[in-house]
Amino acid sequence: MSPLDTALLAIVVVVAAPIAGGLLAGIDRKLSARMQSRWGPPLLQPFYDVRKLFRKETIVVRRSQNFYVYFFFVFMVFTAALFFTGGDILLTIFALTLASIFLVLAAYKASSPYSFIGAERELILMMAYEPMVLLAAVGMYLVTRSFIVVDIARSPQLLALRLPGLFIGFVVVLVVKMRKSPFDLAASHHAHQEIVRGITTEFSGRTLALIEIAHWYETTVVLGMAALFFAALPWLAAVAAGCVFFLILLVDNVFARVKWQVALATAWITAAALGVGNILVVFFLR
Amino acid sequence: MSVFGMSRTIMRNLFSGPATRLYPTREKEPHRAARSRGRIEIDIEACIFCSACAKRCPTDAIIVSKTDKEWNIDRLRCCTCNACVEVCPKKCLAMGNRYTPPTVTKDKDIFRQPPRPPKEPETIPGA
Amino acid sequence: MGTRTVIPFGPQHPVLPEPIHLDLVLEDEKVVEAIPKIGYVHRGFEKLVEKMDFNELVYVADRICGICAFIHSMAYCQGVEAVMSVEVPPRAEFLRTIWSELARLSSHLLWLGLMADAFGFESLFMQSFRIREKIVDMLEEMTGGRIILGVCRVGGVRRDVPNDALADIVRRVKDLGVEMHRLADVFLQDDSVKHRLVGVGVLIRDQAAELGCVGPMLRASGVSRDTRTLGYAAYGSVDFAPIVEKDGDSYARCAVRIRELFQSVDLVAQAASKIPGGEVGVKVSGYPEGEYHSRCEQPRGEVIHYVKGDGTRYLQRYRVRTPTFANIPALLRMLQGCELADVPVLVLTIDPCISCTER
Repeated sequence: MSPLDTALLAIVVVVAAPIAGGLLAGIDRKLSARMQSRWGPPLLQPFYDVRKLFRKETIVVRRSQNFYVYFFFVFMVFTAALFFTGGDILLTIFALTLASIFLVLAAYKASSPYSFIGAERELILMMAYEPMVLLAAVGMYLVTRSFIVVDIARSPQLLALRLPGLFIGFVVVLVVKMRKSPFDLAASHHAHQEIVRGITTEFSGRTLALIEIAHWYETTVVLGMAALFFAALPWLAAVAAGCVFFLILLVDNVFARVKWQVALATAWITAAALGVGNILVVFFLR
Repeated sequence: MSVFGMSRTIMRNLFSGPATRLYPTREKEPHRAARSRGRIEIDIEACIFCSACAKRCPTDAIIVSKTDKEWNIDRLRCCTCNACVEVCPKKCLAMGNRYTPPTVTKDKDIFRQPPRPPKEPETIPGA
Repeated sequence: MGTRTVIPFGPQHPVLPEPIHLDLVLEDEKVVEAIPKIGYVHRGFEKLVEKMDFNELVYVADRICGICAFIHSMAYCQGVEAVMSVEVPPRAEFLRTIWSELARLSSHLLWLGLMADAFGFESLFMQSFRIREKIVDMLEEMTGGRIILGVCRVGGVRRDVPNDALADIVRRVKDLGVEMHRLADVFLQDDSVKHRLVGVGVLIRDQAAELGCVGPMLRASGVSRDTRTLGYAAYGSVDFAPIVEKDGDSYARCAVRIRELFQSVDLVAQAASKIPGGEVGVKVSGYPEGEYHSRCEQPRGEVIHYVKGDGTRYLQRYRVRTPTFANIPALLRMLQGCELADVPVLVLTIDPCISCTER
């Protein structure tokens, strides 16, 4: 791809990713509602919500907290652009982590006890899922000999067949990343928990809208990474992403929220057993 | 290990459709049970303005004026306890099973008896 | 040792259904101390005895609480009836029993839903409320009220229910039993739920008794005490035994309430099959003179209505001791040393009804 093509593609991604993410959020809310035998909001409700947030007054504890949120947003956009234009997967992961760190910093800066504890829990969750994400990248490299997303996607091998353990482990990461039960302890979509809305408690108006949009980018990126495991067959990748999405909703609806110790243990045990195990198998049976 | 215990119920819910209604646009049919305490209704033609209901009302929601032939109820004060219906000597009060529509003002519902023809008939027409 | 943070918990808080305020002193995620503040919804109901006569006060008693409304009015009526030596017709006694048990079902299902919400299980919360809605609909069909039934009066009840309608209600409650079993399986078997309940907030038998717990709190710690065994209303004519669990943790309290659901279904069926015919109310004349402690079993535990009359239309003194009031000391004991994530669960295990407590 020429640099110009890449730039054009990046612009398309920057526009399309939040639309896809917002639609996914809408489907999420509708399906969850039906699982609970409710009607649920209209499909486009997430967009209405964000439009309304943009019109609302932004009330802050300290003005600098918004500064960090802007960085969170910018890095999330950067992550999405990098990933979908086929950049380096390691760089994508680091950008994603950096973005999340900025959100944590913003929450610390807000200096409310709720967002403070939310930020602490978010850090614990990042500790929990980060090893698994890196292991997934390592596994992909072992099979395709490349860290570049384009090369991974063009590899003729179906990665999920070679890396089933990593794929399952990655689904656990997705549950954390999409803030779903049982791992929604830092911030959940519904404010029904002991720390109110956790990490996003002290944000309002435009800032909260930006967090929401950044979250849509995040959802598309992590679902895209999951689809990468099936990239050899594009139709299967789409089906797999859909199935994973449905599975996450199901898991969200059949689990209670766990405590942080269990969240950490679950994620690390999956990473150690499925992730490392899978990589060892691939490494020695090559 | 027992996880996913809820999944059967959830899948059943997913395919059996919602149990809730889009309330303001779609109401429950039949609207309410026949006995539901909705709001007090009055047949003003039959009222004799004896004030028994106003005296029995625990929340003082009812005001009756014999001179003006007027019967008032403050719907927001009324606790639909049915005491006025039970005490009414002419049985002109009834408990309707529809709720008062939502309101943003604290108005009273005023019922005024139209002036009678000079000679009062034995039975009230149209009651 | 971590730094200490104070988390304000309530009076308005997403997981708290009731306005109580707790200052939680945390070390990391561990609660070191919990300082309660109450008084947000004091409405001075007991003062109303000066303004409302003893018959009108039933409406007030009905509105002490939004969930255990019927049993409050029943306890009050029983108190006045005892003072005035009024003989309540047996049919009214049985109807009171049926409505109490349906109110208990509605309250326990509400509690289960809120509990599920407290440990972050949203679909379970919705499912509990879905079942509860049907119970509330039944109450509406029989009495006209969904939550505040407004059917009790001194000397009996204000509405009769025909026997065939009762049989229909029994059939529908029994049908709901199937759905409740599915719900109970999740609460009692699911591992992620157990992880949040087992071993959380343990109160051993002696502690529970010493702290003066009542109701499911006490029974979950292995003390077999249920005010219904006194045989008020028609409880003397139906067959039941208090439900007791041994462990004294949140799981045991959940189990007690779930088993009480099925007990209530059974009691409704028993009462409906044994209900005699006849009047549902007697005319009461005269004014109360004397005093009485009326005790009833609320879904939350024992409630005491103290009624004192001096031979006038207005009572001299009226006082309500609600079950939540008795359970708050136990809550504070349990909160010490628990984790922040357990706080909502613990607050809910006492089934708090602060509006009752403050009246």
